[in-house]
Amino acid sequence: MAVVAPGRVYRPDAVDASHSFMFNQIEGFVVGENITFADLKGVLEFFARSVFGKNIRMRFRPHFFPFTEPSAEADISCIICGGKGCSVCGRKGWLEILGAGMIHPNVFKNVGYPPKKYTGFAFGMGLDRIAMLKYGIDDIRLFFTNDARFLKQF
Amino acid sequence: MDIKIAPLALAEKLTMTGLEVKSTQQRAGDFIFEAEVTSNRPDWLSIAGIAREVAAATGAKLKEIPGNSGLRPALKKCAFKLSVENARDCPCYSLKIIRGVRVAASPPWLRLKLEDLGCRSVNNIVDITNYILFKYGQPLHAFDLDKLRGETITVRRARKGESLITIEGEAKDLTPDTLVIADASRPVAVAGVMGGKDSEVNDDTRNILLEAAVFDPVLVRCGKRLLGIASESAYRFERGVDRNNLEKASLEAAELILSLAGGSYQAERIVGARKIPDRKISLNPAEVARVLGVRIPATKIKKILSGLRFKISSGQRGCFTVKVPSCRGDLNSEIDLIEEVARIFGYDRIPSSIPSIFSSVTHDNTMDLISFIKNILTGLGLNEVFTYSLIDKKSLQDSQVAAPAAIGVCNPLSREQEILRPTLTPGLIKCVSYNLNQKQASVSIFEIARVFSLSGSGVPLENLTLGVALSGERIELLGEGQLKDRFGMLHLKGVVEVLFQRLGIRSFQFFPRGSSAADVIYGGKKIGAFLNIKKSILESFDIKNRQVVVAELSLDEVLKQVNLGKKFVPLPLYPGISRDISLILKHDVSAADLLALIRDEAGSLLGEARISDYYHGQQIPGGSKGITVSCFYRSGERTLTEEEINPLHKRVCRALEEKLEARFR
Repeated sequence: MAVVAPGRVYRPDAVDASHSFMFNQIEGFVVGENITFADLKGVLEFFARSVFGKNIRMRFRPHFFPFTEPSAEADISCIICGGKGCSVCGRKGWLEILGAGMIHPNVFKNVGYPPKKYTGFAFGMGLDRIAMLKYGIDDIRLFFTNDARFLKQF
Repeated sequence: MDIKIAPLALAEKLTMTGLEVKSTQQRAGDFIFEAEVTSNRPDWLSIAGIAREVAAATGAKLKEIPGNSGLRPALKKCAFKLSVENARDCPCYSLKIIRGVRVAASPPWLRLKLEDLGCRSVNNIVDITNYILFKYGQPLHAFDLDKLRGETITVRRARKGESLITIEGEAKDLTPDTLVIADASRPVAVAGVMGGKDSEVNDDTRNILLEAAVFDPVLVRCGKRLLGIASESAYRFERGVDRNNLEKASLEAAELILSLAGGSYQAERIVGARKIPDRKISLNPAEVARVLGVRIPATKIKKILSGLRFKISSGQRGCFTVKVPSCRGDLNSEIDLIEEVARIFGYDRIPSSIPSIFSSVTHDNTMDLISFIKNILTGLGLNEVFTYSLIDKKSLQDSQVAAPAAIGVCNPLSREQEILRPTLTPGLIKCVSYNLNQKQASVSIFEIARVFSLSGSGVPLENLTLGVALSGERIELLGEGQLKDRFGMLHLKGVVEVLFQRLGIRSFQFFPRGSSAADVIYGGKKIGAFLNIKKSILESFDIKNRQVVVAELSLDEVLKQVNLGKKFVPLPLYPGISRDISLILKHDVSAADLLALIRDEAGSLLGEARISDYYHGQQIPGGSKGITVSCFYRSGERTLTEEEINPLHKRVCRALEEKLEARFR
């Protein structure tokens, strides 16, 4: 089973250039009998190359999310400096774009899937953040101000 | 430990094993890392814990921290009483009594260490408790013993009416959810969060009571929220501290106090077990491969786990039995160990693959249709907008839209976000207003989003809705020159007609409601509405001297009627005859009624009838409108003649005169 679910999401953040109480998230998962962490990497790397270009590099760092294990955060090589380090990537050469991981066996148990038979990966990413990186937009509020001079660029 | 790799390489390595180093800075020949510790790893909230990770990540050998010097209390017997009301609230509590200390400033080495950790130096006693907290992750607290009443400490829930004066001097009322440390008569600290002002160690303190304990994480969190204070102690207790560290940390603190502040270690009291056994978890190497998609040899897996200081023995059927130390409270099942193996093995060394998915999916084409609709509307020159789903009550009231009951937000962040919008109209008008004020000559926008409302029975409803708003002057440069056209209701109708036509929706109708509104009807049901927004409403949205027209359509209803199937109709074999009718009609006769009557009267020979011109002006009397209808007659069987068509067309015209009081021009 492979599912992608985009939608508006909400959180109690005060609005500023990089925060919004409403934004867009794309989440998805793949569940099957032979789904592995290698598949997680392959699919998300394909996604990153499709959105940011085929020269983009991607790396996965261990992280913690309650519903996945092993969990990862994924970075792409900075699209501004190509990984050398600049102000956009905070001199690190990498930009964090999504969280992902192998679906936790407890999640399978809770929905009646035997965890010894099924594995799966799940991911979630902020669409607004990805659009900001891709197009070089420096203020998330521009997405919701709907200035015609902004809209006409897309 | 001796670290053989360069500091920046180490930072990179730690990041790639999950301890993300956010920044590095050099100070006095040392490197200071600022790391993000994920909430599942409280063991990383200490130097000792980070050292264990560095050892596992780099393969460097961890030197054991020297054991305590065997410090023992001077008195075997002591009258001081310690009791813990409920072992679940506080599984272990240890206190040490040290008498005759001299409170003073800390030596430079201690002050610098704390400074590097971002911690303010207070005095030698407090600094030692903080230093040990950072070293082992075990929070400690020192009370001024002489300020405690009645030679007794009780760990208990706060009683009704009790309060505590914080170190900041603020009196806080305590609740039964608060775990407190109390002396004979009153609470002297909120467990794990902060001590009270009354028992604080200051320059006059001579005798201290040193606390080391483990508290229930939930109770510490409650206490922290009650006080509204974040502390390094609470941060650790909330995430879980390692009980096996407790005695070692407490003794080392006592030793440091004796060496930096003097005094003598007189007595101790402990309630609860100081040690808890290692956990045993079984790991099957085949599971590692099944989850990660890479076969890591069993010897390599063992090496990784023993690098993490887990003890491994062989279990049944090729499985390992792994003994996990108490500092790793996050590890409870096989998948936790698989993550450990993956982390240290390196996510970058796991290959990438594309899964084979045999999808038996029910493909919901709503998304496709929405994107089709967006293409149609942008093709018509409209811009898609994205406005907030949370709006203020005032703009809903100001817009005067007949919307169903709105759903309110509990604890809204601001008044602008107090309800879930039951209509797109206020957001669209605001958007028009913003752009007109940015000196845009015209605004033509649409939004596709859900609106929210409460049904009569109080059930929340979500409806996918299309909103369109047009305003201002459209200027086009045509072959004949410039054409200026002010956006109005007819444009709105045109947009919706084009949309329906492209979606294959045919039998829809527009019913006017007065002169400035209309309903969109399909199958006898209202599926949308047009509105020419009133001047007074526009003024409340800061729009002056402009017309704004807005349409809202229920996309849930529209999508049900979509028919994208096409069937070819053979091209006509015989030529047809066209006739135009120019007439003056009363204003309230609708174009739909006019065309319906023409079709009725003309019958099957009428191929097409459409409005080809519309005007009002000086030649047209008031209360009327001028319309030209182009009729096209054709037969599928023969070439029609003028003689055949003229009487038919006359009959049509007569009917228009008689039934619609049309006058011909």
